[in-house]
Amino acid sequence: MNSIATENLAIAYEDHLVVDDLDMQIPQGKITTIIGPNGCGKSTVLKAVGRILKPKNGMVYLNGDDITHLSTKEVAQKMAILPQSPQAPAGLTVGELVAYGRFPHQRGFGKLKPEDKKIIQWSLEVTKLTELETTAVDNLSGGQRQRVWIAMALAQQTDLILLDEPTTYLDLAYQLEVLELLYSLNREQGCTIVMVLHDLNLAARFADYMIAIRCGDIIKHGTPEEVMTTDVLKETFHIDAEIVTERRTGRPTCISYDLIPQAVDECDSCGRAC
Amino acid sequence: MTEMQKKNEAYKKKIVVRNTAIVIGAAVVLILSFIISMNTGYTKITPLDTLRTLFGGGTEKENLILFDFRLPRIVISMLVGMGLALSGCIIQGISKNALADPGLLGINAGAGMMVILYVMFLGAQSFLSVFTLPFLALAGAGVTAIIIYALSYKKGEGIAPMRLILTGIAVQAGISALTTVLVVKLDETQYNFVATWQAGSIWGSNWKFVLALLPWLLLLIPYVLMKSRVLDVLNLGDDVAYSLGASVEKERRRLLAASVALAASCVAVSGSISFVGLIAPHLARRLVGPKHAILLPTCALTGAVLVSVADTIARVIVQPSEIPTGIMVAIIGAPYFLYLLGKSK
Repeated sequence: MNSIATENLAIAYEDHLVVDDLDMQIPQGKITTIIGPNGCGKSTVLKAVGRILKPKNGMVYLNGDDITHLSTKEVAQKMAILPQSPQAPAGLTVGELVAYGRFPHQRGFGKLKPEDKKIIQWSLEVTKLTELETTAVDNLSGGQRQRVWIAMALAQQTDLILLDEPTTYLDLAYQLEVLELLYSLNREQGCTIVMVLHDLNLAARFADYMIAIRCGDIIKHGTPEEVMTTDVLKETFHIDAEIVTERRTGRPTCISYDLIPQAVDECDSCGRAC
Repeated sequence: MTEMQKKNEAYKKKIVVRNTAIVIGAAVVLILSFIISMNTGYTKITPLDTLRTLFGGGTEKENLILFDFRLPRIVISMLVGMGLALSGCIIQGISKNALADPGLLGINAGAGMMVILYVMFLGAQSFLSVFTLPFLALAGAGVTAIIIYALSYKKGEGIAPMRLILTGIAVQAGISALTTVLVVKLDETQYNFVATWQAGSIWGSNWKFVLALLPWLLLLIPYVLMKSRVLDVLNLGDDVAYSLGASVEKERRRLLAASVALAASCVAVSGSISFVGLIAPHLARRLVGPKHAILLPTCALTGAVLVSVADTIARVIVQPSEIPTGIMVAIIGAPYFLYLLGKSK
């Protein structure tokens, strides 16, 4: 069963077509990672799926419903989307930010009900932020901050979370910390997780399903073993990659790569915003 | 509940108590400034006499001075302070820019231009029709806001806060230039009126002006307070706001309209008082933090205190003459703002 599907999706910035005729399926209850070179339309696709960008053409289906037929509030009760490096207003505490996750479930003046408070406490616990609840978000480290945003998305109580490069600007240990958290959310809470990741090895390590995109087209989708191959990476990134199965994780890993000079300019002919 | 959660709950309660105390404190300062302001002016009336007059025991002269001259002016300065402060707070919220204020966005300039056109074509004498003035200012401010909105709107992307600010500054510069051209064509009485208005002197010191301004505020302030949650969410950035299910573009348009209407109706009676919309929200944010449910009321009180104190000083500092309140607000506000700039990293 698909939680999200797109059909003939076309997305444009003004007249610049970034994605054309994209059919994509995201499996439910799984972790899906989207990989691809810079400016290839990964974030754009994620934003269109998250109804932040209005597609020029085509459809996005959320649990089988055309997303344009749902109110933005209804969508927010089913799907949370975290943009790349969001900024919290100065002085806002962790607890206050996480409480905003209840926004789509509130009405009027929005006083938090006991049930809301319970969900907020739960989100803080799962992300190990209870101790930091009264700390200002500005005073946290990058990894903690990313956890706060994930906690906010959790408080939204959606089955589906989309994340645009949740590990950007984070140190190695923090990257892993964030991805481990998302992994446990998927395994323990059954959240469907879709994320754009830059690091191929981390993408392959945590994904159940991978999608490689170039110029707004899907080059290959499938299990990490199917997508992380020398051929697919050659076509997607124009690199000559050496892939081995890593002993500790059992996942395909890129250990070294070279540029393929003659292939670099190929993209210019596609005429999109690459 | 774990030990940690209990500690957090206790801390949160403490913050609520502290914030309530700050709001009450601000209200007390407002009342103090009201009392001091009532006692201050060209004619000396002792505090006791003021109290006696307030409760209905004053002489005819005391009644005239207090009820017809001082009281309406104090009330107006407080209302204008509230309106402009809230307007600034909203604009700062929706533009995600702490330096935005209605003046910067050309809203004051647009309202001012309309007032000048009015004076030009209908003469300085006819400005007695107090109740049309807010509408005129609103029309001017509204047209300006629509121009700014249309110029910074991009199809498919909506309004980027930064573009809104830059367009606002450009439009404001344009209107100011046009205004200067118009001012040159005014005769002396018209010019005097416009110059006083532009400097932001609370010239409409009678009850009619209070009546002209009050309905606007009674309508707009509750509306804005109701939107405090939406403002909170918009403050997280457009993408997050969308994700949380806010109709970002629609809400921003509504809030912008409310902010414009607040600024315009205030500016219509007070003249161009800038700086309040910039500084009051800053002060309030330092006092109670960024959550609008508490920030907006604090901001309204701060604005009221700021303008009424400035107006009181403006009335006494160069007696028997007086300096425009707008200039006094700037004199108080500018150093504070420089202090803020110096402190920020």
